[in-house]
Amino acid sequence: MTTLLAKRKVAGAPVVNVSRSRNPLNGLLARRWVRGTIIATPILVLLVGFLVIPLSIVLWGSVEGSKLTFSHYARIFSDETNLSVMLQTLKVGFTVTLLSLVTAYPVAYLLTQIESRALSIVTLFILVPLFTAFLIRTYAWMIILGREGPINNTLIWLGLISEPLPLLNTTFGVIVGMVHVLLPMAIFTMYSSMVHIDHNTARAAQILGAKPVQAFLRVYFPLSLPAVFSAGILIFIIAIGFYITPALLGGPRDAMITQLIVTQMTTLLNFELSFASSIVLLLMTIAILFFASLFIPLEMIWSSSSLDNTNRHGRSQYKLFINAKRAIHPALTAVENLMHFITKPFLSRRARWLWAYTILVLLFLTAPLIVVFMLSFSSSSFVVFPPPGISLQWWVKLLHASDWHESFLFSVKLGAVSAIFATIIGTMGAFWLVRTTLPIKRALFLFSLSPLMVPVIVIATALYMFEARIHLLGSFAGLVVGHVLLSVPYVVVIMAAALRGFDQSLETAAAIHGARPIQVLRLVTLPLLKPALLTAALLAFLTSFDELLVTMFMIGRQTLTLPFKFWNDIKYELNPLLSAASAFVVLLVTAAILTTLWIKVRHDRRTSASNGQ
Amino acid sequence: MSTSLEMKKIQKWYGGLHVVRDFDLYVDPGEFVTFLGPSGSGKTTALKMIAGFEQPTGGDIMLGSRSIVDVPPYERGIGMVFQNYALFPHMTVAENVAFPLKVRSVAKAETEQKVRRALDLVKMGEYRDRFPNQLSGGQQQRIALARAIVFDPSLLLMDEPLGALDRNLREHMKIEIMRIQKELNMTVVFVTHDQDEALVMSDRIAVINEGRLVQVADSNNLYYNPKNRFVASFVGESNLLPCRVDQIDNGAGKVTIGDREPGVARLNGQSRGDSGWLFVRPEHIDISPRGANTDVGNVLNGVVESALFLGELTRYVVRCGNESITVKQQNRGQAQFANGSPVSVSWNMGNSTVLN
Ligand SMILES: Nc1ncnc2c1ncn2[C@@H]1O[C@H](COP(=O)(O)OP(=O)(O)OP(=O)(O)O)[C@@H](O)[C@H]1O
Ligand SMILES: [Mg+2]
Repeated sequence: MTTLLAKRKVAGAPVVNVSRSRNPLNGLLARRWVRGTIIATPILVLLVGFLVIPLSIVLWGSVEGSKLTFSHYARIFSDETNLSVMLQTLKVGFTVTLLSLVTAYPVAYLLTQIESRALSIVTLFILVPLFTAFLIRTYAWMIILGREGPINNTLIWLGLISEPLPLLNTTFGVIVGMVHVLLPMAIFTMYSSMVHIDHNTARAAQILGAKPVQAFLRVYFPLSLPAVFSAGILIFIIAIGFYITPALLGGPRDAMITQLIVTQMTTLLNFELSFASSIVLLLMTIAILFFASLFIPLEMIWSSSSLDNTNRHGRSQYKLFINAKRAIHPALTAVENLMHFITKPFLSRRARWLWAYTILVLLFLTAPLIVVFMLSFSSSSFVVFPPPGISLQWWVKLLHASDWHESFLFSVKLGAVSAIFATIIGTMGAFWLVRTTLPIKRALFLFSLSPLMVPVIVIATALYMFEARIHLLGSFAGLVVGHVLLSVPYVVVIMAAALRGFDQSLETAAAIHGARPIQVLRLVTLPLLKPALLTAALLAFLTSFDELLVTMFMIGRQTLTLPFKFWNDIKYELNPLLSAASAFVVLLVTAAILTTLWIKVRHDRRTSASNGQ
Repeated sequence: MSTSLEMKKIQKWYGGLHVVRDFDLYVDPGEFVTFLGPSGSGKTTALKMIAGFEQPTGGDIMLGSRSIVDVPPYERGIGMVFQNYALFPHMTVAENVAFPLKVRSVAKAETEQKVRRALDLVKMGEYRDRFPNQLSGGQQQRIALARAIVFDPSLLLMDEPLGALDRNLREHMKIEIMRIQKELNMTVVFVTHDQDEALVMSDRIAVINEGRLVQVADSNNLYYNPKNRFVASFVGESNLLPCRVDQIDNGAGKVTIGDREPGVARLNGQSRGDSGWLFVRPEHIDISPRGANTDVGNVLNGVVESALFLGELTRYVVRCGNESITVKQQNRGQAQFANGSPVSVSWNMGNSTVLN
């Protein structure tokens, strides 16, 4: 009895607490839990139910379940063809990554220096190709690299060659096509980190006597290395999962691992083997990411600002670079002096040279789209460039091609439904991830990005098997799930960034002045997040609108989506009708991007100052 | 419609940190009370509990006759001005001010009329269609104030509302806030760590240190009758000399200042033999040439250590034995003392108190 009393006394303060939270709606702790659970559930269900579980099924299947046999893995690594495909994958991935980074770096560097008007124009030129379907861009390269494409025609016209060069169906073709597809991504990824580097540090170095090239190499470049590195990782893991470009621009010897898996699944019908290949691809990706995580915080690869302060990482990674630099110091000085003499005339008028270079890159990025555009007005019934005459016949044909209309409408419907779900689920998830007080916040954030880490073909195979089991395969819902899964991470990244910059005292102010939680959301939080929501929804829509691999596996007997129809027609025959359809899509994408940018600019202008406070 | 506020034995723990301890405070309807204390003393935390953003770990808060600890913020009917204003950037000035009425579904005509009245009160009537980022800091401040009072809240909270303003604007807004408070007869709880703000604006000041209410009093009392050493040193400038009570003589005490000088001072509950701090404000001390005749209770001899001529007054630091005594003397054309001059400093018993 006495001990009981004593205990009560000791626990005096907490007792009051307990009595208070007896009313479950009002106890703050309870409310936080309830709220957290509600907003976390959708994204967790999506990721666990449609990614983790399917992947486990694939893993389980690859060893034939409880048989635990590794024969399929053995077969992959003993088969000459399979091995060479993997080597080819790594080789192409590496080359493409290197080329993209080198090409993109000066552009990203310029972007960090120019004023906002010029920035938005250049950005637009990069955004449009970025958001134009892989397929359309690859199609453009098929034309450009073709026997009667502009390159061969020009070279023949110049008299440099007499026979068209074989450019299509070569490794060269694959690499050019892939660099073109990945370049915008490389530029944006690097830019988004490099923009935080203060140019004054390099200027300070110059004042202290460093030659321009020294200032750049010793100060700016080392600071930008994490940006380059994270972009490299991103490009590499996307590149080794490529399907469309190598399949269309490469020859039989240019097959990459994704094609191998597709063949194993659809032609050889050897599921276990395809599972094993998928797991190998997945493991390769995980190994790369693990390697990357030694140097940079992983979330930096997909979003420029991370959830928490990452000073710790910053330091360790920086130390590594410093050590590396110290090792090569004498060589560096020599190279610097040499480079100073070579680059002196350029660097002194650096901006002009950078601009010239950037315009060349922009030309490289947009030229294919322009070619497609011009071809859509061709009077010829073949794909020849330049077109022999101008006519509207292909646009008229497109106007009457009911199969294209159906595909277009189906894609729009699929994209819209997926975007709505992805935006809702991703936004709720982002709220949870940013505002939760759980200590494993960062791990959860990375987990929510996992659909971006797993190669698309692996997601496609896994979902295919899983949805077949739960009888969802071939249904619209099944397709939507796949697309939502692929686009949710983008929504999370965008919304998390927006929420981190969000001034929470605005919500507090709304609450104390009488707004109920729902009113706070409706009147304050969501309106302020509008541009981010729009961007996220647009990105989700475009992800779905462009998607091919998952669609191929999940579509069943439904109407073909636009990319799938494209794919079928390209493989069957190249004709200018495809150009007209592509041109139409490019126009739509451009319009959508411009609208979003316009809304964002208008919103930012209105709210900027008070956000800055 | 102003209401009383009562905090009863309020406690707040953050983990193992006792941030607010035993707050007992009654604020009269229409009274302007200021929480004054150093950084980290728990002012904001106390305010947050009144607003409902934090739940007290123990104790009760009454608004009028109603306990509000279990009432969510949006049902408390309290107005608040935030340090960073927290104006909604996507709404115009008028929409911002109308917000509390909108979420209460007040009819349009009434809303319009109340918004106009609130904007007129803060003299911002012609800015109604601007967005917050088109206003200066002081203007934003006024809008934040208008938004907080537009719905006739029972209580107005302000957390360092003047902190982000420059000096002139701050002086101006002080007076504006006082005018509006008197005009609407509002109950106000104001938070600041600026003693000038507190002394000028408040009916009563609650001095907080390390989560505890140290003294609650009006400006005059707080300044002249601080309850302890902390209040004396935190509010205004003061001399605090170590002393010991030798003899008690109907309320007054004969004391030994430092280790030898005799003196007299009012007592603050000390008994014979206690040691404490003799408190005296610099402006209550007279400075004269050594040996001049004075008939006050406390006289110490010393040497001028520094003399700062500040125009209306001169600030001396006089060294008397181990103690440095600050003296502020009004300048009425009398002679100044140079550094090193031997002087006497003296003060009345009534102007000094022994503090713990
Ligand atoms: N959410 C929290 N979790 C843990 N400790 C907190 C929290 N909020 C405040 N504290 C601590 O409580 C103490 C009082 O904080 P509070 O913000 O109330 O101080 P303040 O008097 O308003 O100071 P200032 O004048 O600097 O605003 C501080 O020591 C602070 O570190
Ligand atoms: Mg505070």
